[in-house]
Amino acid sequence: MEPDKEKCHRPKAFDKMEGLVREMQDAENGVPVRSQKLFLTSIPSAFMGKSHQAHHRLHLGYDLIEWLMERLSIEESEALNLANQLCQYGYFFPVSDSKNLVVKDDSSLYRFQSPYYWPYANKAPDNIDYAVYLSKRSMRNKQRHALDDHELETLGNLRKNLANKWDFITIQAEEQVKLGKVLKKGEKIISDSQERAYWRIHRPPPGQISSLEQCPVPPRSRNGNRTKKRTVEDGKREVDILKASLSRTRVKVSQALESMVQYVETYSEYDPIISGTQPSNPWVSEDLTYWQLNSPLVEIPTEKRVKRWGLSMEELVSDPTGLQEFTNYLRKEYSHENIRFWMAVNDLRRSAQSQIQRKVNEIFEEFLAPGAPCEINIDGKTMERVHQEMRSPSRFTFDSAQDHVYTLLLKKDCYPRFIRSEHYKNLLAVGIQPTTKKRFFGFGQQKKKTSTSSAPNPALLQQQQQSSQPCGISTGALSKRRGSDRSLSGSAHELAVSGVRGGDNRVPHSHSQSNLSDIPYRGDLPGKSRTSTTAMTHSPVKKPGIAVTSGASTSEDVCPWEAHGPEPRSRKNSTQMDSGSSASDICVAVQVAAEVTDPKVKKAGHLPQQSTMDGGKSSRKLSAVCCIEPRRASVSVPIDRKIFEEVSKVPTPTPAPTPTPPVPNKSDVDNKSEEICRTFRKSLSVAGAANAPTISVSSATDDGDVLQEAGADVVDPKVDGAEDEKPMEERLSAAMVEEEEDEEQDHKRRTEPEVVISRLALAPLAEPDSESPISELPPEPNFLSEEAKSNDVCPWEDEETKCNVDGSFRKTYTTLGFL
Amino acid sequence: MTSEVSGPSVDTVESLMKEAETLKIKLEEERQKLNDVTLASVAERLEIINYMNIKPRRTLKGHQAKVLCSDWSPDKRHIVSSSQDGKMIIWDAYTTNKEHAVTMPTTWVMACAYAPSGNLVACGGLDNKVTVYPLSLDEDVTLRKKTVGTHTSYMSCCIFPNSDQQILTGSGDSTCALWDVESGQLLQSFHGHSADVMTIDLAPSETGNTFVSGSCDKLVLIWDMRSGHCVQSFEGHESDVNSVKFHPSGDAVATGSDDSTCRLFDLRADKEVATYSKESIIFGVNSVDFSVSGRLLFSGYNDYTVNVWDTLKCVRVCLLYGHENRVSCLQVSPDGTALSTGSWDSTLRVWA
Repeated sequence: MEPDKEKCHRPKAFDKMEGLVREMQDAENGVPVRSQKLFLTSIPSAFMGKSHQAHHRLHLGYDLIEWLMERLSIEESEALNLANQLCQYGYFFPVSDSKNLVVKDDSSLYRFQSPYYWPYANKAPDNIDYAVYLSKRSMRNKQRHALDDHELETLGNLRKNLANKWDFITIQAEEQVKLGKVLKKGEKIISDSQERAYWRIHRPPPGQISSLEQCPVPPRSRNGNRTKKRTVEDGKREVDILKASLSRTRVKVSQALESMVQYVETYSEYDPIISGTQPSNPWVSEDLTYWQLNSPLVEIPTEKRVKRWGLSMEELVSDPTGLQEFTNYLRKEYSHENIRFWMAVNDLRRSAQSQIQRKVNEIFEEFLAPGAPCEINIDGKTMERVHQEMRSPSRFTFDSAQDHVYTLLLKKDCYPRFIRSEHYKNLLAVGIQPTTKKRFFGFGQQKKKTSTSSAPNPALLQQQQQSSQPCGISTGALSKRRGSDRSLSGSAHELAVSGVRGGDNRVPHSHSQSNLSDIPYRGDLPGKSRTSTTAMTHSPVKKPGIAVTSGASTSEDVCPWEAHGPEPRSRKNSTQMDSGSSASDICVAVQVAAEVTDPKVKKAGHLPQQSTMDGGKSSRKLSAVCCIEPRRASVSVPIDRKIFEEVSKVPTPTPAPTPTPPVPNKSDVDNKSEEICRTFRKSLSVAGAANAPTISVSSATDDGDVLQEAGADVVDPKVDGAEDEKPMEERLSAAMVEEEEDEEQDHKRRTEPEVVISRLALAPLAEPDSESPISELPPEPNFLSEEAKSNDVCPWEDEETKCNVDGSFRKTYTTLGFL
Repeated sequence: MTSEVSGPSVDTVESLMKEAETLKIKLEEERQKLNDVTLASVAERLEIINYMNIKPRRTLKGHQAKVLCSDWSPDKRHIVSSSQDGKMIIWDAYTTNKEHAVTMPTTWVMACAYAPSGNLVACGGLDNKVTVYPLSLDEDVTLRKKTVGTHTSYMSCCIFPNSDQQILTGSGDSTCALWDVESGQLLQSFHGHSADVMTIDLAPSETGNTFVSGSCDKLVLIWDMRSGHCVQSFEGHESDVNSVKFHPSGDAVATGSDDSTCRLFDLRADKEVATYSKESIIFGVNSVDFSVSGRLLFSGYNDYTVNVWDTLKCVRVCLLYGHENRVSCLQVSPDGTALSTGSWDSTLRVWA
């Protein structure tokens, strides 16, 4: 609007640069002027007398840089970049180098440009101005003012082009030369150099880009009438938009942001820049495996990819392989007309205009017409709308029907069924798990939690939020919870099952069995594990209490759960040992084997996993191992608890639980603990990765909370427990009954996730009261508090830890394998 | 002039402007009522991202002038780029080979885009047109070129809306338009900006019918592609909006502007929820893009740098140096494994 603004579009950056440059020239707080002595060598002596005047000041490169660093609190590299920008735009220039506008972080000298010559101070110079300048220089002392070759050439061209004005130009130039002679020598030098610098910017030597060059836009729109004349119509439109905005429903900022944060947390795991890629990033490693494994249509998708489908229906259908699997599944169920309709309408919307009419009719004939071969089931109202729309067919004709099918049928029915189906679980089970080959990639600090496959339950979310604050002790809760479960059911065995079931319900997917195998080896000391086994076999009652501390359990509350997740499947696949005793036997065997050295054990654990992956099918043997594992995991937990005190004293891997948490946060934990963690992590990560996006995680969160309370003061848990006891018990018992009824079919059950969670969460609390082994109670709190203390040093946030663990696991995976 | 106005039928520009002003104030009040928390505080519980290992992995040399626009192919390794000298190049960025080089009958090819199939590219610029080129290795690509649509001013941006059969463009004539590729028919035009449209982006949803545009009128508008109506508008920038990008969740858009800030506008909260700026950053932003999780925002500046922002904590994570002139365009690859940048230094770079 203002006239000068219309003359030329001046980017905002110039205001900011000028502000900064003015500050730099401030007599007191600006860039320091070095003592004159410094200049003696490089500056003509005649000039020195004037150096007290502001515009005569010279500055050292590193003073400029330093000033910027201090003023803007930035690092040297950024300050250097900024100084160079200011130089490129001509706010200061190197005294001794008229060719290159570069700022060096050394003692080279720079002079500030006179504001008269700042970019945009006046209108951009034209060729006449340039011709005057060049002629003037050609009239002066050849030695000091000789023109460069390119300038001579330009002058020649200008003379040709501006022949009619050349007299005027010559007169101007002579005038200026005359004026110049009046100046004192020092001033002359300065103004000459400034003028030269000015033209260096506005008429750069060939091949050099001027930073003043504007964005490539026609002058008409860019300069003059950038803002169109507003018409009444524009005004009306704006008012309408504003009115509509006023009546729009908006959510609280807190709510919107919370969901955004949740989203980002969920997807961090799938963000290569944040969490890395498996096995490696092709751009970095030059290895194309990652792309091969993840091409749009693959025979066997990676486990991670399958897991991602569990996040939301959108994730599933936006992946060609996912869509294919989903369609195959629905076809088997004889209900794929919905997805086919949905795809057809999508295709319609994206079709060429010429195809629309035909496709609309085709879709109608196939899916909507009475007695259509593939009739979809929509309500009368929607059908009515379709019929209305059919009168003027367009690419949007079936939008309402599509919406209906999508939200009511596909999203609320087909999709959840798919995610719970054997089909999906199978995909997860055989999913490829690439191993890291190189140790690149950034940080694994992102959390992996919180992907709720079903509609997020607000309460759950809240819990998650709360828990996500670093809470020292998540483990305790978990172990407690498990303990209580067990105690109720009366047998360790059952407990495991229920755990599994819980996991199953919560997390529609289980992970590969191989993961499980890792768990037991992890932190348990061979000897101890054995003990635990024994303990478990003989005195199931005690286990609950014990469970609290095991290194394993501690380090990963989540771990056990996740570990259980798969169990149903494995059980199913393989012949299972239903009796707890048999399981324990096996456990013993395994443990004995494990007694060898830790590394070896790890290896052993590892191998089955790999083979599983490779084969894609679990052999009986393998599955058997897997089965054992979960159980064993539960078993091992008790051991630790019992021996907890010993363990804590002994600097063996067992104590790992405590150190583990920190690892994710800071990598500086000592090697030992790290190693342990890794092992741990291995199991965890496997489990985690495999694990369903979700609920299991959230349950962990719960644990964290509960535990925190528990740890903080012993009384709390009791209180809570009392409060919640009843419902919990009910649920638990119900669960138990169900389990007994058919353990094998756990996975098929569709308990509401929330219920499961609450059950789990509550279980631990109730434990004391319901079971009331007084002897047990005290140890737990103590233990907890102790742990809490130890954790003080490096608090681990349950979920983040998990993630981290996962990340590091990936990184170190190879190492572990070959230990 | 129409001083004795009595009905809306005789609205003048002035009265409408006045009404708009009061509405804006009211709107701001409404928005503030629900403004109960800042993003940084919500994100407090997250871990800080303090280590990034992003390095230049490829340099694509071949353009003879400023690179103005680029786009990843859906195959995750090819890139199309256009430059000031009228060239459009198809690169295999992984090997850095040039697979096609097309000379356009215009300079300043300001926009180019890959179709979802990967078999088609579109480009245009000062010629005011959007032209598509089917890609084939057998014959000269230019033989089968087809001009789809024409604006009344330069075309600044284009994008295929999940289909090879349509193309959405933004123009210096302050409109956006949706074209049918086959017939060249204008399917829908979008009026609402009062200055050059500089940038557009599609909502991430597969079935999404919305897109966002940014303009020299400093506004960010959300559009319904089907009806052609603007459904939401955001203001806040103090200068041209050069780049907009939907958050991967689809619930927010990030913008980059000549006012040297990037901002985040939440669609559901209906307001700006974050500003990404630093005192030391004084140059305009030309291009922004999210990492696939939405945690990181990459932004390319006129000061030759790329800044990487933690979108949730609202702090800068790191700076990427390498280009020797303005970073004009930037885009995260479809699978999120890499970042491509194009610059006035006539090169493109791939970072990972």
